[in-house]
Amino acid sequence: MPNSSIGMGEQDQSEREKFENELKAILKACKDAGILMRVIGSLAFQMHCPQFGYLQAAMGRAYTDIDFAAYSRQNKQISELMAKMGYVDNREVFIATEGERAIFDKPGTGLHVDIFYEKLDFCHAIYWKDRLEVDSPTIPLAELLLEKMQIVQINEKDIIDTIMLLLEHPLGDVDDETINIKLAAELCASEWGLWRTTTMNLEKVKQLAGYYPQLSDEQKNKVASQVDEILARLNSEPKPLAWRIRDRVGDRIKWYKEVDEV
Amino acid sequence: MAKLVKDLMHAGLITCKPTATLGQVAVLLNQHHVHALVVADRDGRALGLISDFDLMAGEWLSSDQESLAVMQRLTAADLMSHPIDTIEASTPLADAAGIIMEKKVSRLMVMENGKPVGIISLSDFIASIASEIKSKRNTVCDVMSDAILVCRGKTPVVSAARAMTSSGWRSVLVVDAKGKILGVVSGHDLMHLIRDGVDESLIVRDVMHPALTIDINASLREAADMMIQNYHHRLVVVDKDDPDSFPLGAISTFDIVAEMARPDSVWQK
Repeated sequence: MPNSSIGMGEQDQSEREKFENELKAILKACKDAGILMRVIGSLAFQMHCPQFGYLQAAMGRAYTDIDFAAYSRQNKQISELMAKMGYVDNREVFIATEGERAIFDKPGTGLHVDIFYEKLDFCHAIYWKDRLEVDSPTIPLAELLLEKMQIVQINEKDIIDTIMLLLEHPLGDVDDETINIKLAAELCASEWGLWRTTTMNLEKVKQLAGYYPQLSDEQKNKVASQVDEILARLNSEPKPLAWRIRDRVGDRIKWYKEVDEV
Repeated sequence: MAKLVKDLMHAGLITCKPTATLGQVAVLLNQHHVHALVVADRDGRALGLISDFDLMAGEWLSSDQESLAVMQRLTAADLMSHPIDTIEASTPLADAAGIIMEKKVSRLMVMENGKPVGIISLSDFIASIASEIKSKRNTVCDVMSDAILVCRGKTPVVSAARAMTSSGWRSVLVVDAKGKILGVVSGHDLMHLIRDGVDESLIVRDVMHPALTIDINASLREAADMMIQNYHHRLVVVDKDDPDSFPLGAISTFDIVAEMARPDSVWQK
């Protein structure tokens, strides 16, 4: 089991509601200001999994911050909006990441807002281009899945979020309330490293889901069958020459970026 | 009577051992001036093919000393593609061209009585197009230079094929009147002629594909990266500050392989 405790631990209902209510307030302010921001991270999974969202609290998955995806062309409007809502911009992060990320803190509340512009770029890059318009208020389900699956050192919190997602939504070739595995397969066929990490983590999700007492046997089987279907799709997608050559080299060369904690 | 694969193939196999390093493979490719070697075991059994494209992985993935050390230890057996796509020696050329197009490969191992007897590659097909036009016409436009092979969009495809063969290039760059790049015609673009028959009215603009360009100051690794990601054997070298001007030259997989084969290259240590 991954041993990181970040995002794990008991969290009382009032604390969870603090994050959820703040998220709603930010989303409303964005809508009023014509700003396109989509929720990612734990709260996105909670919002997009109304039936199985209870598993987060049941499995000890805590909220730690509020994460968004956005386009960089709106970064100034976003900074202004966050300032109006009482947030302080951690300018160093924005500069250090060359405008790819912004972190805002709300003094005295313990609330942090993390905004990822254009892409999520940890172990592998997941790009937002033309995808933030697809779903609301979160990023599309395929990107939610890949957001978790691209982490090489995957944590228990990420496993829990993924289990919720797989229990809640069917797989298919579209985005509408469906995990678009056609898109996921295409992205994994374009980058061997993303395929390697994603398939590795899907196997972990399948394996670890079997150990959670909070899940029924039926739910464990459902997770396993969903994972098997995704793996089959990722593996059957035609791969270009570069992918096939990279596959021959395999794990002998590091296939992911190290994640810098901010 | 239709020509057969055995009429056009390169007889015999140029091989390397499964244990050959990428540097050793580079030397062999360079010495024999071929795009690929058959990886064969000590009994001569063909195990796979290793091409100049596979070698591009060496430059592509050697982003630091650690990865360079890993790539230097890789062998032909590690990087070869297998199983090898094969074809019977008695197969008509048109069918062979169809297979190459369908499988999107550059070469096939030729079999006769269950044994490999040679290789037929894109270069052989291009040569056959060129020789066909030679028998029909007396004058054909020739290459301008072996440093960079260019033609205008209205150039007949058969002329381009002739120029490619006589210059030993696998592609020809298509430019407009001012030297601006319009596209590239490669061996794969010409495969239709083998399958469907040579149409002398075809011009290169009808068959060309977009050119892939690289700045003259880009590193070899960037070039290898671009080639491998886009499956292009040759990049057009341009001045990034003036990309619409006449191209500065071209860099091919051969150029990179030749660099890897040099005695003082990191691949020979």
